[in-house]
Amino acid sequence: MASLYKASLQQASVRQITVVTLVVVTCLAAVALAETRKEYRFTVGPKAIISVDTQYGAIAVKPGSDNQVVVTATIMSDKVEVDQQQSGNRLEIASHVLQGANERAGQVDYELLVPPGATLNLHSSTGPLSVERLQGDLTLEGTDAVVNVRSVENCHVHVRTMSGPITLTDVTNGHVEIASISGDVQMKSVTGSLVQVVSGRGKIFYDGNFGLGGEYRFTTHTGDIEALVPADVSADFRAHSVLGRVQHDFPLQPRHSRFPVEAGRSFLGTSGKASSEVVLRTFSGRIRLKQR
Amino acid sequence: MKCSDVERVVPEYVDGALKGAFQIDFETHLKSCPACAELVSELKLIASEARQLAATEEPPPRVWLRIAAQLRGEGLILESESAPSQPILVPTSPRRRWSAWWLAPVAAALVVASSYVVTHRPVPQVAKRQAPASRMTSPAAAASPTPETAAAPSPVVPAPAPQQLAKKIAEPTRIGGSAVPPVVEPAPSEEDQQFLSVVSTLAPSMRASYENELQAVNADIRETEAYVNRNPGDADARQHLMDAYQQKALLYQIALDRIQ
Repeated sequence: MASLYKASLQQASVRQITVVTLVVVTCLAAVALAETRKEYRFTVGPKAIISVDTQYGAIAVKPGSDNQVVVTATIMSDKVEVDQQQSGNRLEIASHVLQGANERAGQVDYELLVPPGATLNLHSSTGPLSVERLQGDLTLEGTDAVVNVRSVENCHVHVRTMSGPITLTDVTNGHVEIASISGDVQMKSVTGSLVQVVSGRGKIFYDGNFGLGGEYRFTTHTGDIEALVPADVSADFRAHSVLGRVQHDFPLQPRHSRFPVEAGRSFLGTSGKASSEVVLRTFSGRIRLKQR
Repeated sequence: MKCSDVERVVPEYVDGALKGAFQIDFETHLKSCPACAELVSELKLIASEARQLAATEEPPPRVWLRIAAQLRGEGLILESESAPSQPILVPTSPRRRWSAWWLAPVAAALVVASSYVVTHRPVPQVAKRQAPASRMTSPAAAASPTPETAAAPSPVVPAPAPQQLAKKIAEPTRIGGSAVPPVVEPAPSEEDQQFLSVVSTLAPSMRASYENELQAVNADIRETEAYVNRNPGDADARQHLMDAYQQKALLYQIALDRIQ
């Protein structure tokens, strides 16, 4: 009797597993069938201007050949279309979401290979947005999108998000302007003539040496600001928090200034030859300058 | 043409001195670069406003004296021992031909005058951030998105930056070193209501995100205004107040750019 009971239990569980597996496989197949991948190729010059605008979906850009743009679009459903328009060296790609489409159905993910010197304008509400190894001017904008810029040089980088976090790595000789309402901003090895970062409620974290001769301005309203620098950093530092605390844990040469220095709320001083200017401001966040 | 090239020749473009192929390249770049387009648009606005100032209304001397006092208070005007202090002057002759280099002091005067007005505007109450619990969606609700239609009654997008927002809302705000208990959020202004109404119509799934951010930004503005009213001599705080307003403008811009 017990063995019959065990056998019937085993049969029931095998049936259950089979049914669940069939359902899962059917769903996956349905999703896979609904997705379509399309590839578009455009002939352009090395200084092409490329715009990609999608309400929902990722945009990833890498360098390709000097005279061609290759766009691979993964379209999630038939409720969204990809519009493309080229005028000479200008290329515009946009997702057109049809009525009744939700975020999932309206999603298009883009992967682009572009000339390394191309100028890019990328817009996506959800993202993520990622760009690497390019030398042309970049404008990236997202709402909640995660933004990642890596290994770009000699270019302007403009990034705007509402709450999406922003990470810049290895951006050299750049002109960087970042603005976010509440997104965190992380920078590693970012240098240039101007690096200006504003995040109202997000944190700003900088790991680098502030280059040799540039202006670095980090401002938050309530977010904390932290900078991690080597011992041989060469910069003129000014930090002030109206309501929060500031501290630096390595010595700075004091310098005279018309700005009042209130211990614990501000510090002012130079390190090395003061090649770069670093201004750290927050209304009620904390500021910390740390030595690596 | 790159952004760095645009920045070099933008004064000539605003003056109408850029011609031929340079002008074509310049305008082509503006079509594809929102940042440069915005810069040129703002400079053109300042230039046109400056022309009207010079040609029509001459502000009374007390306005310039007040601006000079403000700048002196901030340490931006250094008094000379030999010469008596003079108010800041801008060209007043309507027959003087307007030229671009007066943009800088006029723009600075406009910014200082607006910040003076902002800092001396009465604040009705000190309002603190409070968790907008009724509007934040749960992760469960966000996991099952509903079709996006204009009639969708409730947003399903989870609120952004929840840990930060909740942490800042939970902490009592420090004003002048002492904690101030949170108070009820005031009703949104007419502009904010209009803005949220547009978002609701064109992108209802995003309304919750924008509303949460808008409430947080407004709370920051109120907090900073209250501090500036108590400490009118704090120039850095006044700058933070202007930054907070710019954050709000940025929020509007991002939302309206995305939902058009």
